[in-house]
Amino acid sequence: MKPGAAPAASAGAAAGAPDGAWLRVHPASPFVRGWVALAAIAFFFFRDSFERMLQGGPLVDERLADRAPWLLLGGGGLLLLTVLGYVLSWYFTRYQVADGYVRLNTGFLFKQQRQARLDRVQAIDIVQPLLARIFGLAELKFEVADAGESAVRLAYLRMDEARLLRAAILARAAGAAPDPARPGEAAAEAPEHAVLTVPPRRLVGSLLLSEQSMFVVVGGVASVVLSAFTENRSFYLFLIPAVLGMVAAYWNSINRGYNFTAAISPDGIRLRYGLLDTQAQTLPPGRIQALRVSQPPLWRIFGWYRIQVNVAGYGGAGSDGGGSSRTTLLPVGTFPDVLTMLSLVLPDPGTTDPVGIFSAGINGLAAPAGSPAHAPADTGPDDGGFVTTPQRARLLAPLGWRRNGFTATGTALLIRSGRWWRHLVVVPHQRTQSMALEQGPLARRFRVVDLVLHTTAGPVSPRLVQAGLDEGRALLDDQAARARTARKRQTSEHWLDQVRALAADPAGTEAPSSTEAAASTQAPNSTGAPSSAEAPTNTDEPANTEEPNRQDDRQHG
Amino acid sequence: MRTEAIDPPGITWLRVSPKYVTVRLAGWALSTLFLVALLCLPLVLVLNGVWQSFPLWLAVAVPAVTLLLALWRLLLIPRQVRAIGYAEREDDLLIRRGIFYQRTLVVPYGRMQYVDIGAGPVERALGLCTLKLHTASAGTNAEIPGLPAAEGARLREQLSARGEARLAGL
Repeated sequence: MKPGAAPAASAGAAAGAPDGAWLRVHPASPFVRGWVALAAIAFFFFRDSFERMLQGGPLVDERLADRAPWLLLGGGGLLLLTVLGYVLSWYFTRYQVADGYVRLNTGFLFKQQRQARLDRVQAIDIVQPLLARIFGLAELKFEVADAGESAVRLAYLRMDEARLLRAAILARAAGAAPDPARPGEAAAEAPEHAVLTVPPRRLVGSLLLSEQSMFVVVGGVASVVLSAFTENRSFYLFLIPAVLGMVAAYWNSINRGYNFTAAISPDGIRLRYGLLDTQAQTLPPGRIQALRVSQPPLWRIFGWYRIQVNVAGYGGAGSDGGGSSRTTLLPVGTFPDVLTMLSLVLPDPGTTDPVGIFSAGINGLAAPAGSPAHAPADTGPDDGGFVTTPQRARLLAPLGWRRNGFTATGTALLIRSGRWWRHLVVVPHQRTQSMALEQGPLARRFRVVDLVLHTTAGPVSPRLVQAGLDEGRALLDDQAARARTARKRQTSEHWLDQVRALAADPAGTEAPSSTEAAASTQAPNSTGAPSSAEAPTNTDEPANTEEPNRQDDRQHG
Repeated sequence: MRTEAIDPPGITWLRVSPKYVTVRLAGWALSTLFLVALLCLPLVLVLNGVWQSFPLWLAVAVPAVTLLLALWRLLLIPRQVRAIGYAEREDDLLIRRGIFYQRTLVVPYGRMQYVDIGAGPVERALGLCTLKLHTASAGTNAEIPGLPAAEGARLREQLSARGEARLAGL
């Protein structure tokens, strides 16, 4: 956690600067980004000399002695050109935070101006690759609602600048106007309360028991058996690249998932993780479009779960290298952890018994066929409020029919599925984009339908499989109505209640006063400000058709 | 087979123009011609004695079966076109399609990002157009093909107006 009083100079340089000032990123940033090129040049020119030096010979080969000046000149010229390019690219990269927009100008031959609306910010990340971390620099990366590439990257800023800028952007995104009298005040970082961490031991255990490892074991056994039967050693050769790939994948998972910490602050859920390259994500309240709790079969031994989310702008997993880790809300956690995260994402579960309904969704199973639990044989059996596949269709899903089901609380639709690979998908009502009922010939034979909810691109694709025809039809209508009412009263006021409840905890003794202060500056409209008319909350801001979220202007300069 | 509709009850569907059958037929003819011609290539080669090793029965059977399947699809086209429907409700637009694989889609007006109207060459010649709705989700595949141009324009204006009135954040 950051002490509230930042040095005045850095505050002035970053967020507290007057609106409209064009600022540059840190001068070292092109070198941090392009160090590979510099290292390659250095390696190319000095490898030879270095080797000779190790062998005790002269620095320059005798045969090349007459040509050495030219070589040096060439190398020096190349180095100079690269450095000049870096300096130019640094000089022409400028950004500005003003009038509710962030603008970023780059390029000196091909100029590009990019702007993003602050109130459209979906998520904001601070990324620190290893080298940047050594120099105390960080990249600020934020997404606006757009399925395409990551919207705006400011690389690199000093770490404290990046944090102040993030706080400023989030404050504006929440609708808090900067106070002209005290410009530094609005940029104060919102206090945060750590909610949960993932111990490294559990991370390693979860990797060992993941689907990936099952494939490794199966593949290894298969190749050993094959080579034993065919007496052909070459199968071992195939294992070498496979093992290398596996090691890389495991390393990647550990590097990204290490030291995972979730925290809550007035401007969103904070996730931090990473061993060498660290990343701090902030998801403002109400930006999560859909969520999935899942459990691979082997994780059941320890009762572990994983949570993935759809956030507009993050796009599908793997689209951006770290895509799959960015859409992971909880890499591995126990059931209480899952409930904690659910309570952060869904502060108002819309039911009196959230624990009961979520555990039924995650682990529940309807009564077996023939038990008295479901007397009317034509309607699906019911557990914890979940309506499952009717018994008549159990041939379509002999294992899953007691799992596949849905229930709706006051604020979200819950869809569960999977007997071995358990999934629970949660879609807040006000996030539903559109819905479709689908039915194939076989499903018609059994009078069941599938219901598909469309959300933004991401790892979660909510689909209710094989609901009874009447239930599905009713759900389509009910859900449309629920989504409609939810959209009408879309606020994030519960969010701050949540923070207060945590602040009132004995754990954070000095926290409440600062939380109050932050609450009043960060989001005045949710602390009981009189009118809702001037409350452009981050969620119900009506302007997403007319104005593009991001504009790219390219021109030749 | 009389199919039980999966639509919510009590909806009067507006159907697309019957002329859309012609558009579908043109598309069907073009793709069938191309596919069958391609699959007849081995047959030609075998008959000319270029490709001796290829069995003759297979060279005949593949295009024949393809042609049969295509003819079956041809018979379905009028019914498929009749199955396309849309309905404007108070707060959302319903679109349905399909006979064997049915789909009923609900798009709330407040979720529409923008509305597209497009027309291919055949559609344009017949005075038809295709209306497409876009939401923030790529999964929303909301398309109403075969609308008369005037109806398409009316629907677009109507949808835009209603969308603006009910626009919600993401």
